[in-house]
Amino acid sequence: MARTLRNLTLNQRLGLAAFGLGALALFANPLPGPVVAVDAQEMALLVQREADHVTPQELAAWIVEGRADYRLVDLRSAKEFADYSIPGAQNVPLTDLAQPPFDRSEKLLLYSQDGTHSSQAWLLLRARGYRTAYTLNGGLDAWKNDVLFPTLREDASAEEKAAFQKPAELARYFGGTPRLASAAGATATELPRLTAGAAVAPPPTVGGGPAPRRKKKEGC
Amino acid sequence: MATAVQEITETRAGAHAAAAERVGAPYMNPYLAGIGLGLVLLSAFVVMGRGLGASGAINSTLAWALSKVAPAWVAGNEFLGPYLGDGSTHPLKDWLVFEVMGIYAGALVSGLLAGRFKVMVERGPRISASARLGLAFAGGTMTGIGAAFGRGCTSGQALTGGSLLNLGSWIFMICVFAGAYTAAYFVRRQWR
Amino acid sequence: MTTPFYKYGFFGDETSLVVAFLIGIGFGFFLERAGFGSSRKLVSQFYLNDLAVFRVMFTAIVTAMLGVTYLGWIGVLDLTLVYMVPTFWVAQIVGGVLLGVGFAVGGYCPGTSPAAVVMGHLDAITYIAGIFAGVFTFALAFPLLRGLYTAGEMGAVRLPEFLHLPYGLVVFGVVLMALAGFWGAGWVEKRFGTAPEAR
Repeated sequence: MARTLRNLTLNQRLGLAAFGLGALALFANPLPGPVVAVDAQEMALLVQREADHVTPQELAAWIVEGRADYRLVDLRSAKEFADYSIPGAQNVPLTDLAQPPFDRSEKLLLYSQDGTHSSQAWLLLRARGYRTAYTLNGGLDAWKNDVLFPTLREDASAEEKAAFQKPAELARYFGGTPRLASAAGATATELPRLTAGAAVAPPPTVGGGPAPRRKKKEGC
Repeated sequence: MATAVQEITETRAGAHAAAAERVGAPYMNPYLAGIGLGLVLLSAFVVMGRGLGASGAINSTLAWALSKVAPAWVAGNEFLGPYLGDGSTHPLKDWLVFEVMGIYAGALVSGLLAGRFKVMVERGPRISASARLGLAFAGGTMTGIGAAFGRGCTSGQALTGGSLLNLGSWIFMICVFAGAYTAAYFVRRQWR
Repeated sequence: MTTPFYKYGFFGDETSLVVAFLIGIGFGFFLERAGFGSSRKLVSQFYLNDLAVFRVMFTAIVTAMLGVTYLGWIGVLDLTLVYMVPTFWVAQIVGGVLLGVGFAVGGYCPGTSPAAVVMGHLDAITYIAGIFAGVFTFALAFPLLRGLYTAGEMGAVRLPEFLHLPYGLVVFGVVLMALAGFWGAGWVEKRFGTAPEAR
């Protein structure tokens, strides 16, 4: 047996090696399945350090600055997205996240209605190797309450009134209106309609995601 | 000389004479060359997340060249337009274009090492150089159209898609062999 | 998983062009080593004289295929991030046959013609000119061809998915097919070939 092996030509040896590797490959499973592994400790630390989210105010500042190094992702349904979306957002319903249409090097900012779905999506994406994914703290609800319709209490001090100038301007910029709340704290349960209409045109410098990343031609 | 060559018929002796025309050192063991190619392809997968290609580089080059004379038409053309990109980068700063330039370079190195450089019109003994050049052009035209329909050529579809078990690539590859074997019969006078 | 490196952001677009050039060098080097810079050697495949094209191509396919299978299996390579050209089966049948005809008539394919050009083969130059003419014609006629171009759209489909077979089984099958082919190729050459082409 050893003698036959030794007497094999190079081509025959290559063929034998190919057969062996091919046979072993019978047990191979190269495509990642639906099951993902999560580093629980790492996730917990990130959450604790609050390194997993971005506040609506921060996002508003980014949009005003014209930053284009992140991709804003709206996880709600297409209909909800059409009704209103944060300027510069791209609609990727949660169900499409099984095959995320993002590169792993992109900075992703996810938001959903109240932040629950975006937090879940954050965990799933992180587990699949998207190390630069973040959620919008409080989701669209927080965006509406803090950025679009910031509230100034009637009994606010002069200092607080002055400090309210910036949020008020920001609100108007995005098509919202600053509100006045009565001292009794009874804020309106229904959000006022946006003055500028449903969709605010994003500032010209903001791209639909990381700029100037066009869809690369990867064919042959 | 020409008549002497034309007198060579399709006999074993004649074919051997043709074989003796080969220039330079003998070629590498095909299996070893294939392993080398396969490893290059694998490195493209691992480093870039994409495979090899060639026809795409031609599309980019054509789009760029035409945009010098008829930019509006190219930009509006559904097939060539995308190869111009969105204007943020030069169409020739394209992965495939650089890869194809590498093919020229790598082949040059290998060929010079083997002493296989020789200015000639490769053809069989029974056809003239100009006829061969004409047929080469015709073949190229069909190749161009075929690669456009197929979204690639043997490098991109057969090699790359083949190793990735891409369904369309295997279909394409089988059809290439079928078409080639069939057509070869009809142009055999060009080569033998 | 940390590969493909580019898709994990290890380097940018400018560097990727350098990578492209280097990979191209490897590609061109082995193409020429195999003798694919010669149209006569290439077409002798189609006269059953010298099946080097088959041997080289399928060895390359098997090598890369086993490579991605194992690297994907051990989790080093994320196979879902490797780009797959979508399937348009009708268009690809048409394209494949046309390209095959062009291969036999022209003597080259788009990837091998550069190897021939640098070796001084003038027919490769007219061949490449022909490719440009062909693509130009295609682009001109595109409005008429669009239907056929998009016919048979299936998205990116892998063979194991399509055949409802485990990935590893298909891999093993391809290896067996290739080995059988290599073994058979020698027999075919002896039986049908007129002479060993320039080897």
